Amino acid sequence: MASRAADFPVAGGAGAGFRFRLPPVGAVVPLVALLMAWQIACLTGLFPPQVLVPPSGVARALVDMTQSGELQRHVGDSLFRLTVGFAIGAVAGMAFGAVIALSRLAEAALSPLFMTLWQVPVIAFVPMMVMFLGIDEPFKLAVVAIAAFFPMALATFDGIRGVPRNWFEVAKVYRLRLPQLIRRILLPATVPAVLTGLRVSLTRAWVVLVAAELLAADSGIGQMMEMGRQLFQIDVVLAGVMVSGLIGFLLDRGARWVESRATRWRAA
Amino acid sequence: MNSLLARFPVRLLIGLAAPALLIGWWQWQASAHIVSFAPPAAVGSALVEMLRSGDLLRDTLSTLARAFTGLAIGAPLGVALGIAMGIWKPVDRVLGPLLHALRQVPMIGWLPLMGLWFGVGEGTELIVVSMSAFFPSMLNSHAGVAEVERRYLEVGSILRFGTVQRIRFILLPAAMPLVLTGITQALAFAWIATIGTELLTGAGSGLGVAMGQAQMQQRLDVMLVVIGATAALGFVINHLFRRLRRSALRWQPSLP
Repeated sequence: MASRAADFPVAGGAGAGFRFRLPPVGAVVPLVALLMAWQIACLTGLFPPQVLVPPSGVARALVDMTQSGELQRHVGDSLFRLTVGFAIGAVAGMAFGAVIALSRLAEAALSPLFMTLWQVPVIAFVPMMVMFLGIDEPFKLAVVAIAAFFPMALATFDGIRGVPRNWFEVAKVYRLRLPQLIRRILLPATVPAVLTGLRVSLTRAWVVLVAAELLAADSGIGQMMEMGRQLFQIDVVLAGVMVSGLIGFLLDRGARWVESRATRWRAA
Repeated sequence: MNSLLARFPVRLLIGLAAPALLIGWWQWQASAHIVSFAPPAAVGSALVEMLRSGDLLRDTLSTLARAFTGLAIGAPLGVALGIAMGIWKPVDRVLGPLLHALRQVPMIGWLPLMGLWFGVGEGTELIVVSMSAFFPSMLNSHAGVAEVERRYLEVGSILRFGTVQRIRFILLPAAMPLVLTGITQALAFAWIATIGTELLTGAGSGLGVAMGQAQMQQRLDVMLVVIGATAALGFVINHLFRRLRRSALRWQPSLP
């Protein structure tokens, strides 16, 4: 967003000329300045350590938890849930989206129920799922899977419905069978929409997983923060905030990278 | 087949088949005496009971109040800051990296920290809801101002617009559609965050709080009433906002 803004000479009027991307240094300076201000505010006693731990304290907490293996366990558990739950939800969503996009009958039969359920925030299903699944691993996998399912199904549906009609006619002329139709036409044509859906559902799944872990878990980033809160370990909570933000950022960036790589052929 | 599907009553019948199957399965499960599996009819009586006692109305109103208070705090701040960042690049340089870093954290993930700082209560809930409303308004407003079409700015420079005129007559109107998109998104985010924070903190009253209590008391019927209310309200609010947005942007000739 920031780099797009810099393409337009907005601040200096039309005569100010072009500015291209901000150098990475420019983006880092304010963050470093903030960290320093934070450290100084803590060292001078502006904030007591019960309220705000300096960045060095957060770093120490991160190092300590890494050395004891605690951090790896929490991050590993969270990422494992995310991977498995997301894989289930995304595959199911893709299949569901494809079915209701390809068959008018399936659409008429299933989309009203789907659209109704879609109105409910995923987090509102959490208490009901706790009732049925308990608070163990199946519950967390199911939450992630549901969070991934809906955006994925919609993106796949839109992607397939967006394929021009005459492409199907070409397939008919060539007498393509269904597997070939899927492999040669549907897959390439829907890849961009599906990848965007994957990115959206991945970040949603992560948000919902952290919320579910806050509510009920014995491990994971969310549980680490919740335990830190209950034990008044502000350094652990801040470390959790940072790690969860970093993971969210990397997931989004990774998905964007895949998206741009996989859709490169479209520009040509 | 397709011509048959084009008829509305047929579509309606087919569309009702899946929910009917679901309810039938549920009735069957409930009659098989599975613990905590209230039969469908119990949801109806729970709804009547909750309407009569006024619990549903109270919870709905306090959830709505919380979501809209959060929106009223977060969205104007986000719009103002987003527009300021779009107009004055130094503001963007200083605040941009910080805000983008903060944005990466799942909003609900702020709850433990805010809980430590401000106590687990209504204040914490409101802060997290406001933050959820803030970021989409900020991002979209920023994009709206920053991605204004160059030719509009060129017209402004031909007319020798000053800074104030450029902001007033070019940047703000051009940014309007995205600003409103941002506010619509902010509303959706604030709504989800309200339900989530209520559920997690359990403070005060609200639909999320009611859900959490229903879970503890193993009252599936109450829970389904609350989920239904959440879905209906979310649908109505989003629909109203979309109409508001359209009427606010009437002057725009071509709108997606």
